[in-house]
Amino acid sequence: MSVAPADAGRAAALLAALQEAGSASPRASVTSLEQLEGGWSRHSWTARVEDPAAGTDSAHDYVVRVRPQGALLDTSLRQEYDTYALLVDDPVPTPRVHGFVDDDASAFGGPYFAMDRLPGRSLNVWRPGDREVLQRSWDDGRGLAEDLVRDLAAIHAIDADRVAGQIPLRSFSETVDHWRGIYEEVRLVQDPVVDEAYAWVRSREPAPVAPRLVHADYRIGNCLIEDDRITGVLDWELSFVGDPRFDLGYMSLDYHAGKFAAPGSPLLNATAEREWFHARYTELTGVPVDQETVDTFSALGALMLFAILSTGIRVYADGGTDDIRFLWSRFALPALRQDLSHLMGWR
Amino acid sequence: MRGVFNPVKPELLVVAVGRVLRAAADADAPPDDYRRSQLLSAYSITRNLAAEQAAAPALLLRLRARLDELLAADRRPAVRTAAAAVDAATDPTQIGEALVVLLADLRATDPDGPLRQHLQRTLGQLADDEVAALAAGPPRIAA
Repeated sequence: MSVAPADAGRAAALLAALQEAGSASPRASVTSLEQLEGGWSRHSWTARVEDPAAGTDSAHDYVVRVRPQGALLDTSLRQEYDTYALLVDDPVPTPRVHGFVDDDASAFGGPYFAMDRLPGRSLNVWRPGDREVLQRSWDDGRGLAEDLVRDLAAIHAIDADRVAGQIPLRSFSETVDHWRGIYEEVRLVQDPVVDEAYAWVRSREPAPVAPRLVHADYRIGNCLIEDDRITGVLDWELSFVGDPRFDLGYMSLDYHAGKFAAPGSPLLNATAEREWFHARYTELTGVPVDQETVDTFSALGALMLFAILSTGIRVYADGGTDDIRFLWSRFALPALRQDLSHLMGWR
Repeated sequence: MRGVFNPVKPELLVVAVGRVLRAAADADAPPDDYRRSQLLSAYSITRNLAAEQAAAPALLLRLRARLDELLAADRRPAVRTAAAAVDAATDPTQIGEALVVLLADLRATDPDGPLRQHLQRTLGQLADDEVAALAAGPPRIAA
C-alpha cells in the first residue's frame, strides 16, 4: 500500500499530529490513506502508520475524523473528541483518540482527530442481507442484542457530574426547542404532520429523571460488529446530557428497524424483541421502561431526523454541496412522517 | 407534480440526477466508493421519483376530495380561509401550508374537536398511502 501523491500533505499532517500526541515516533510513516464513503457532517479517512519504534506490532490502523467546511450539522468535533477521551476506560467499547487539530485550514479541510481503527464492520438495517445477519444473531444466541443493551446501560450509567463542562446539558424542552429551531431554519416547505407532532411531543413532557449521558444517535448501524459481538460504539457527534430515554425512543423507531417504504424487521432496531430489550435494560439499570414515554421520545427522535434530513436537503438546494445523498434523503421523509402518524395514533 | 408535502420539485431532482450522470460520463477512472454511492443514490432517486410521480395525482385527488368533505360545512373563519386556500392551491405544498395554519388554529381554539381529529386521520391515511406508493416501486418497462 502507498499514499497517493495527492494525499501526501494529509499524510504528513496526520503524522505530525500523532507525533505531537506521543502516539507515533519520529521514525513512523503513513503507508496508506484512503477516504471512506460515509459521513454527512464528518469526513472520515482510514490510515495505516508503520512505526519501527513500536517493535513487532509496528503497523497501527487509524480512522481520521474531519469536520469539513460546510458540514451538514453545526456539531462540535472537539466535543466528539472529548466524549471519546472520556469513555476510553468505560465498559462502552470506543476507540482511543489521538491528537486533536483545531485548524479550519488543515490539510484535511477542517479540524480533525485520529482514533484507533477498531475491528469489525457496520451493518445497514435498510439492506435486507444485513437485517438477516441481525435476525440470525437474535435467533442464535442474541449476542448483538445483549451487547446493544449492555452498552446502552453502560452509557446511561454515566451521570451529569462526570461530563460537566464537556458535553452540553439539555432538558426535554430544550431538546424539543433545539430541533424545532433547526427545522424551522432549514425547511423548504411546511409540513402539517411535523407541526402537529411538535405539539404532540410538547404536550407529553415526561416527569424528569436524573440526567445521564445520551448518545442521541444510538442504533446498531452506529456500532461495529465482529463475530456476533459489538466491537465499537461510534458517531457521538449528537451526544448530550439529558433524559436517557431519548436513546430508547430513538432506536425504537420503525425507521431504525429498516423501514423505508417496505416494512423492515419486526425486531427493535432489527436486533432484539422489544419486550426483551426493555426488560433487559430494566434489569441492567434498575430503571423501568414505560412505553408511553418511549413513544414520546420516538416521536422526538423522528423529529430530530426530520430536521437533520431537511438540513441536508436545504444544503443541496442552496448549492452548498453536490453530494446527491443529501437530496436523496427527501425520500426518507415519508417513512418518518408515517412513523410520526402511527406514534400519534392517527389511524 | 411533487409528492404531497415533500420539499424539492421533481424537475430539480431530475437535474440533480443528470449532474451525477454527467460527472460519471466525464470520469477518466472507474468510480471510487464515493462516486459509486453517488451513482446508486441517483439511481434510487429515479426509482422513488417515478413511483411518487405515478401515485401523486391519485393521492392528491383523494386528499382534495376528503378535505372538501371535511371543510365544506364548517363556517368558522379559519376553516373557510383554509378551504379557500386548498381550493386555490396549484401545488400540493400549498395545501400543506393551509393545513398547518388551520391545525394551529384548531389546537388553540378546539383542540379536542372532531375536525382536528378528522384532519389528523386524513393526514395519517395520506402518510400510509404515500409510503405504500413508494413501496410499490416505479412503473415497469416492458422487456
